[in-house]
Amino acid sequence: MKHPSPILLKGVGVSYNLRMKRKRSMRRSVTHRSRIDEKGHFWALRNIDLEVKDGEVLAVVGGNGAGKSTLLSTLAGIITPDAGSIAVYGSIATLLHVGAGFDDELNAEENILLVGALLGVPASIMRKKVPEILEFADIGDFAKAEVRTYSSGMRARLGLAVATSVEPDVLLVDEVLSTGDASFRDKARNRILALMEKARAVVYVTHDLASAKELCTRAIQLEGGKIVADGPARKVINAYEKKMRARTSAPRPASRRVTRKG
Amino acid sequence: MRTASLRLTVGRPQRGPIGTIAETVRSVYQRRRLLLYLTIARVRQDGSNSLIGNLWLIIDPAVQLAIYYFLVGVVLNRPQANFPLFLFAAILPWRWFTMAIGSATESVRRRDKVMRQIAFPQIVLPLSAVAASTTSFFFGLIPLFSLYLVYPERLTIWVTTLPIVIFVQVLWTAPLAILFSALSVFFRDTGNFVRHGLRIGFYLSPALFSFERIQELLAPYPPAHLLLELNPMAWILTAYRDILYEGRAADWTALLVVALASLPFTFASIYAFRRMAPTFVKVL
Repeated sequence: MKHPSPILLKGVGVSYNLRMKRKRSMRRSVTHRSRIDEKGHFWALRNIDLEVKDGEVLAVVGGNGAGKSTLLSTLAGIITPDAGSIAVYGSIATLLHVGAGFDDELNAEENILLVGALLGVPASIMRKKVPEILEFADIGDFAKAEVRTYSSGMRARLGLAVATSVEPDVLLVDEVLSTGDASFRDKARNRILALMEKARAVVYVTHDLASAKELCTRAIQLEGGKIVADGPARKVINAYEKKMRARTSAPRPASRRVTRKG
Repeated sequence: MRTASLRLTVGRPQRGPIGTIAETVRSVYQRRRLLLYLTIARVRQDGSNSLIGNLWLIIDPAVQLAIYYFLVGVVLNRPQANFPLFLFAAILPWRWFTMAIGSATESVRRRDKVMRQIAFPQIVLPLSAVAASTTSFFFGLIPLFSLYLVYPERLTIWVTTLPIVIFVQVLWTAPLAILFSALSVFFRDTGNFVRHGLRIGFYLSPALFSFERIQELLAPYPPAHLLLELNPMAWILTAYRDILYEGRAADWTALLVVALASLPFTFASIYAFRRMAPTFVKVL
């Protein structure tokens, strides 16, 4: 039986109204002038066509401000596109900023249930996962203490443990493989890899190009909010690396002009 | 590999006003646990890191009562039988109203981090603020009912109709909370406007004086008088005072009108919130 691809984007554009934003992005608006239209909207993503098929692991590479995070937020349903259409099928899990959903006044177990409720996982299922999450996060006696008393490492471990406790159809990952100390990093890495195996589609945003080459089946390169390269992971990332090297060795103003045309 | 029967999670077509409202109400019902956890967190936040914790929920309103009693009862010398009960019957609900609106206004902005990470119906944020202040209102009923130990003759069967009046107040509190929480994302000074608006509302409500007395005072100023008549809280506070202090039936017809008048406003606020919600993350 034929069924739709987990992710399908058609002509998606996301714009920010600069009048409404904080000053920080006003400054950026000067450097990214080509992406601002006559109404003063900054287009973080423009005309994105993307289909992610069953079983694909997609790497998204690109420089700072290329639109990688905006793309991930759009896929997660956090940002609604201003142009084009988007369709994502199945449950979604985001490993964006893990631990952001925590409330300082609740203890570990209550926070697990809170994040579960935020994600829309039924409480009965979430409650069963609590012991396993606590064990994985390895926070010991602090399980009964409020999260505000945690060290940043414990917070991060708990955040990652909760975020990876659900088995999503679509997994969105943004630079989380470097949480905690070395031993935890290995544990976390294995857990995320296991999730990637099970998910129908994975979108992985990273600057760690070596791991992207190893993990992903396909890669796209974003530049100025547009897809400039799409293909097998190894090929796209190698080309991207070569381009980056050329850019850092070339004089700066010249590289700017190249970006504008993109 | 799982089967094809996966539902569309992102990219559902936008619906008309009625569909949007129905969908929002359904999403809140589905996430009622989220509402519960957020409310618990909020109530606990007010009580934690303090010497006597949640006892403040009882002490705060009692102290406020004492201050107003001294100000209006002693300094301004307003003769009114059993004045503390007269005052408390209206001040306690008003306090609930301002707390709910005040904390709801900040509620969406304060949770910007979560909103950037997870897609969830953000409307639960102002609603949980309302729920948390409702909890503290219920604790405030303890000192209120303690006053009946002093004035036992004031306690009548009409006290049992209290839930009805409380319900009508929720009908007006929730839409205002929803609306202001969304507006404060776009306009940082919404909180200031709300604070001053509530202050003015307090004096345009029969909180310190009876409804008749306020009407009398405002009679020479028709615009202010009109505002008083249009102020739903004026009618609601009077209903509280009727059943808690006067020991008589509230003006049920007036209360019904106030309740019905809230409905279009409720729908409008839910729809407005839902339309503004997709841009929250971009603006914050």
